[in-house]
Amino acid sequence: MVALSEFAPIGAMLLLAIVVGLLLLFISRILGPNKPTERKSAPYESGMKPIGPGTRRLPVRFYLIAVLFILFDIEVIFFLPWAVVFRKLGLFALVEMFIFIIILLVGYFYAWRKGALEWE
Amino acid sequence: MSEFDTLASYLSVAPEIGLTILLLIVLAFSVARREVERAAVPYIAGFGMIALAALPLIFAPGDANSTIPEGLYWGGMIRYDVLAQVFRVMILLAGGITALMASGVRGVGRRGEFYIVIIVATLGMSLMSASADLVMVFVALETTSIPLYILAAFKRDDTRSAESGIKYFLFGSFASAIMLYGLSLLYGFTGQTNIYQLAAFMGSDAFANNLVPVLASMVLVVVGFGFKVSAVPFHFWTPDVYEGAPTPVTGYVSVASKAASFALLVRFFVAVYPETLALSGESLQNFWIQLMAVFAVLSMTLGNVLALSQKNIKRLLAYSSIAQAGYTLIGVAAIQSQELSIASVGFYMFMYTFTNLAAFTVVILFSEATGSETIADLAGLNRRSPWLALAMTIALLSLAGIPPTAGFFGKFFVFNAAVRSGLTWLAVVGVLNAIVALYYYLVVIKVMYVDRSEDEDKPIPVGRQYVWVLWATSLIVIVLGTVGAQTVYDWAARGAMGLFT
Repeated sequence: MVALSEFAPIGAMLLLAIVVGLLLLFISRILGPNKPTERKSAPYESGMKPIGPGTRRLPVRFYLIAVLFILFDIEVIFFLPWAVVFRKLGLFALVEMFIFIIILLVGYFYAWRKGALEWE
Repeated sequence: MSEFDTLASYLSVAPEIGLTILLLIVLAFSVARREVERAAVPYIAGFGMIALAALPLIFAPGDANSTIPEGLYWGGMIRYDVLAQVFRVMILLAGGITALMASGVRGVGRRGEFYIVIIVATLGMSLMSASADLVMVFVALETTSIPLYILAAFKRDDTRSAESGIKYFLFGSFASAIMLYGLSLLYGFTGQTNIYQLAAFMGSDAFANNLVPVLASMVLVVVGFGFKVSAVPFHFWTPDVYEGAPTPVTGYVSVASKAASFALLVRFFVAVYPETLALSGESLQNFWIQLMAVFAVLSMTLGNVLALSQKNIKRLLAYSSIAQAGYTLIGVAAIQSQELSIASVGFYMFMYTFTNLAAFTVVILFSEATGSETIADLAGLNRRSPWLALAMTIALLSLAGIPPTAGFFGKFFVFNAAVRSGLTWLAVVGVLNAIVALYYYLVVIKVMYVDRSEDEDKPIPVGRQYVWVLWATSLIVIVLGTVGAQTVYDWAARGAMGLFT
C-alpha cells in the first residue's frame, strides 16, 4: 500500500526549504543597511588588498596524494568482502580479482610514470 | 532472467569491455618512453573505438534461440536490444571520429589524457543507451557527464575553456541532482528500480491512483533529460559551453552526448510512463507528449531565431544544435505512431552525428590554421581549400535538411511520424522553423563561396587523418540521404519495435 500521506514530510520539508531560503534573502534585503564602497565590494582576500588575478595556478600535490589514496583505498575495501566469500565463489572470484588488480596496476604505472609519486 | 547466462551476459556488454581494454592500452601508451609511441595514442584511441563499433553488429541481439537473446542482463541492469545496438554503433563511431579530430589540435591533441577521458565518456554513453535500471541510468549518466566536464575545461591556460568547464559542471550537477530526485521518487513509490517493472506497479490498485506525485517525478526526470539534450528551457549552458570548450569536445558533446540521452529518454519514457498507464483516469503518456511538444516548439524556435544573429561559427552551431534537439523532440512527441516515432528519432540522431562531426572538423581545421572562429573570416574558403568548403557545404545542407543529404530524410521521417500521430501542427511548426534555419546555414555557405578575402592564396593545411574523417563523414551523410536511408531507418524501426514488446 502506498499512500500519498507517507510523502507528506518530504513535501513539508520542500516547502520549508523554499520558504526559509526566500525569507533569508528578503529579510536581509529589507533590514540590512546597504552602503557599498569600493573597498567593500572588492573580492575578499583575507582582509588584504586583493593582489594579482583570481585564477592563479595552485600546487596540486595534496590533491594527487588524495587521488592515489582513493586508488588504493578502494582496492583494500574491495579485497575485504572478496576474501570473505572467496571460498564460495572459487576460481571465478580469483579471475575477477586479478582483472581488477591489473586495472589498478595500469593506473599505478601511469601515476608512477607521470611523476605523481615524487614530492618535488 | 531465469538463470545467469555467463557468455550472453558478457557479450551484452562487449563494447564496454572493449572500451575498458582500449582504455588500459591507451593509458599505457600515453606514458610510453618513446615519442613515436606517445604520438600513436590518438590513432589507437580513434581507430580502436571505430573498430569497437563493429562489436554490437557482430554480437547482434536476436531471438530467444540465438547466442544473445534480446532482453535484460546483469540482474536487469542492462537491456540488450536493437535500439541499444543502433545507438552504441553511432556513439562508438562518434567517439572514434572525435579522437581523430582532436589529434591535430593545439593544447589537446598531444596529451594522452584527453583520449583517456574521451574513452571513459564513450563508455558511459554506451551504457546509457542500454541501461534498464534506475541505478544504472544514474551511474551511466554520471560516467558520461563527469568526463565531459573535464573535457570542456581541458585547455588549462585558456580562461574561456575554464569558464566553459565550470558552467557545464554547475548546470550539469544541478540537473543531475534534480533528475536523481525524480528517480528517487519513483523508487519511493514502487520499491522497484528496474524501469520495466515501475509501470506495472504504478498502474496497480495498491498504488491507488496517485497522479500528482507521479507527475512530479516525471517533471523532475524531464528536467534532467532536457538539460542533457539541451532543449529549451534547459539550454542556457549550451552556447557558452560550446564556444569555450576545445572544438573537438564541442563536436563530441553536441552529437554523442545528445544521441545517448535521446536513446535513454525514449527507453525511459516508453517503459516508465507507457500508454497503458492511466492514473485517476488520465493517461500519463498524454502529459509527456504535451511536455515534449512544447519543448520541441520552444527549442526549434528559440534555437533558430537566436542562431540568426551569431557571428561565431561555434556559437552558431550551438544554437543550431538546440534547434536540432527540437526537431528530434518532435519525433519523441509523436510517440503515438509507435515505432515510426522512435525510428525517426534513431535515424535523426544517426545522421545528425555524422553531419555535425563533419561541420566541426572543418571548424577545427579552419581555426587551427587561422586562429579565428568568426563566420566572416570564412570568406573565400572556396578559393583557399575547395574540398573543405565542399565538405562544410554538405554538412550545412544536411543540417538544413536539403536533399540529397541525410538531413532531408531525418526531417522527413520526424515530420512523417508527427503527422501520423495526429500532431500535424507540430510538423507545420517544424517546417516553418526549417525555413528560418535555412537562412543562417546558407549565409555561411555564401560567405565561403561568394565573399572575397586577402588570404585566398593560402590554402588551409589538412592532415591525413582529417582527410579520412571528412571523406568518411561526408560520404555517410550523402549515402544516408540517398540509397542508405531505408536501411538505417528499417534498422532503427526494428529497434523501436523492441521497446513496445
